[in-house]
Amino acid sequence: MNTNLKISNVTKIYPGCVANDNVSLEFNSGKIYALLGENGAGKSTLVKILSGVIIPDEGKIYLNEINLKLNSPLDAKKNDIGMVFQHFNLFETLSVFENLIIDSDEQREVLREKIDSIMRKYNFSIDLDIPVLNLSAGQKQKVEIIRCLIRSPKVLIMDEPTSVLTEQETSELFLSLKKFSEEGILIIYITHKLKEVMELCDEVAVMRRGKLVSVSEIKNENIESLANKMVGQNLKTIKKKKEKNSSVKLINITNLNFISEDPFETNLSDINFSVNRGECLGIAGISGNGQSELFQVLSGEIISDKNSIEFNKNYIGDLNPQERREYLMAFSPEDRLEQAAIPQMAIYENVALNNYKSSNFFNNGLINENKIKEHSKKIISDFNVNTDNIELKSQFLSGGNLQKLIIGRELITSPDLLICFNPTWGLDVGAINYIHETLIKINEQNKSIILISTDTDELLKLSDKISVIHKGKLSKIMDADEVTSEKLGILMGGGN
Amino acid sequence: MIIDVNFVGLIIASIMASAVPLILASCGELITERSGVLNLGVEGMMIIGAISGFALMTVTGSLIIAVFGAMLAGVLISTIFAFLTQTLITNHVATGLALTIFGIGISAMIGKNFVGIPGKEFPVIFEGLKDTIPLLSPILFGHSIVFYFAFVLPFITSYFLKKTKIGLIVRAVGDSPESASNQGINVKLVRYACILYGGAMCGLAGAYLSMIYTPQWIENMTGGRGWIALALVVFSTWNPIKILIGAMIFGGLTIIQFHMQAIGVRIPVQFLTALPYIVTIIVLVVISRDSRKIRLSTPSSLGKSFYKDN
Repeated sequence: MNTNLKISNVTKIYPGCVANDNVSLEFNSGKIYALLGENGAGKSTLVKILSGVIIPDEGKIYLNEINLKLNSPLDAKKNDIGMVFQHFNLFETLSVFENLIIDSDEQREVLREKIDSIMRKYNFSIDLDIPVLNLSAGQKQKVEIIRCLIRSPKVLIMDEPTSVLTEQETSELFLSLKKFSEEGILIIYITHKLKEVMELCDEVAVMRRGKLVSVSEIKNENIESLANKMVGQNLKTIKKKKEKNSSVKLINITNLNFISEDPFETNLSDINFSVNRGECLGIAGISGNGQSELFQVLSGEIISDKNSIEFNKNYIGDLNPQERREYLMAFSPEDRLEQAAIPQMAIYENVALNNYKSSNFFNNGLINENKIKEHSKKIISDFNVNTDNIELKSQFLSGGNLQKLIIGRELITSPDLLICFNPTWGLDVGAINYIHETLIKINEQNKSIILISTDTDELLKLSDKISVIHKGKLSKIMDADEVTSEKLGILMGGGN
Repeated sequence: MIIDVNFVGLIIASIMASAVPLILASCGELITERSGVLNLGVEGMMIIGAISGFALMTVTGSLIIAVFGAMLAGVLISTIFAFLTQTLITNHVATGLALTIFGIGISAMIGKNFVGIPGKEFPVIFEGLKDTIPLLSPILFGHSIVFYFAFVLPFITSYFLKKTKIGLIVRAVGDSPESASNQGINVKLVRYACILYGGAMCGLAGAYLSMIYTPQWIENMTGGRGWIALALVVFSTWNPIKILIGAMIFGGLTIIQFHMQAIGVRIPVQFLTALPYIVTIIVLVVISRDSRKIRLSTPSSLGKSFYKDN
């Protein structure tokens, strides 16, 4: 049977922002639809309206000509609309099976059989009786998908599903989605990754600032045309000039080990690498393979053996982050609002935090507010942070602006080495471009970068050398020119 | 020296009796906390239950009205907590502390007229079997219905959480209210229900104290048992069976140290009095030290307010 889903004149207004401005769209089963847009374009709001999480201010939803009243997620489920959220809606401490059956009224035995048959049909293999927190991101996503499939949905919505997946997991997901589509499930795929749209989808709707900009068939589009529609202007493509780097070693890690007492952390074993001046070392890997531990060890959040880290001919393994900063290291952690900045504090206060010791921000224990504000304004203008209010609490900055602020804060002291962890995670194309340009500029100034990232495209674009971390171990260090994303994918999965 | 086995049986029975209020209050609070709500008002709800039970018994003369009235009183006072924390989104810790202070104060005020009034005898069951088996009879028979209920409750609670649909929903809400809400579970409703249930159990625990354990009203008669119950929940890592063990150890040491004081053992009294607290916590920490299990049984959202922004 054909499924027809119609969104008619949907508007949702938040204080200070129109998330959806009179959006109308129509979908038919048998096709995979992409909903494309930058962060904040309103695509997540739109699909949350479809799944009953958000109630629109105006507008109607029709499924097969029937007007749906979607006042809660339950209503969407009852009407055969399934959704896999960007941030998983799983209960980490419950078992996989418990997660799957929680919204169903059927008998446990019946459900177990149903789940088994779904897993067989689509070649999923997940142990149903272990807690969800032991699963990889890809497996967690499969759990979410199975949870939708149990209800045999007519519509399946995927909200940025690949942001946590590896290349292999992504292609597996695409195969499954194509299969679902052939079986008559209408698929709406939300993303800001253009490559995926080209690869997977049949039709694409582009949103920008809450408005629907265009609807077109994929065969009439290419990556550039979609990017320009999405951003609303012509994007320049950036490329790193690969030059001959100096061979002066800046940082040298020897036999670095970290054994965690927390069973949910990854142990690091026998890490060895070095980075030359002006070089960018990329560290790839599936999240949860020791990246965050490695970052913490490098930044001094976790102290290690004094001799295991040699920086600029000093042994600094036992120093804390502040002391390491005095040796001209700088850090940009993964979690911008939890680790890098304090959300409730103003921009200028956050700026003062990383340099409270060496700077002249403080006189005799008192805050020199004027100095800090002056300094903050310089960062904001130098690094293109889109605000002029330095007293704004940092939680109100968008991800891109916050990341620019943090990178700016770190770079304004002109450090010799910047260590960053997923610097463009969750950012939109414009902000990503800016961060990438900045990172390339650092290398051009003969300063070094250690880039820990789960985004292989980013690594291939920016790195001079690449290594892969898997289960707390680093692979051998390769020249970026000789590496392909396929090869990285294999190493990331633990292959050779 | 010959020890009368029935005397040993009686001591064990008295240990069990002193564990009853702890088990009831802890099992109630456990359900509340498993849904992600931290209610520090246990002591206050218990003392309200104690005075309500005693007052209703004295005024109406009916034990049934008194017991259920005490539970209802617990429910009513926990409704205040639920309304504040779930509807008005106040801070769990501050609200719970206020509830305890409020409970102690209001119970003292109501209780003024009931000081010195003798309690009524609470009927016991299986009394005829009291002399049939040596050692076991005094343990097994001749107790109030509340006593038996308390010792079955941890097992019911465990079964409820692990095996039933509603138990699963309670755990899910405690793990991630956001996910639960997106799954169409009414988080507020679940949390309200769990808070009210906790209130009922605390009310019952209080009524047990004032009507069965020491049948009279004394101001502040819960004497910190509410806090012990709270500690039991945490140190048992939200496991009802371990609550039972912890309550028995605590009750046991309380009784034994009384006897030791009476015999005149040459250990400082202060140390003896502190002993139950120290040992209970040490034992529970030791039996619960598997950090993986702690992670799996700790309600991740404990004490965090949840509100939906649409």
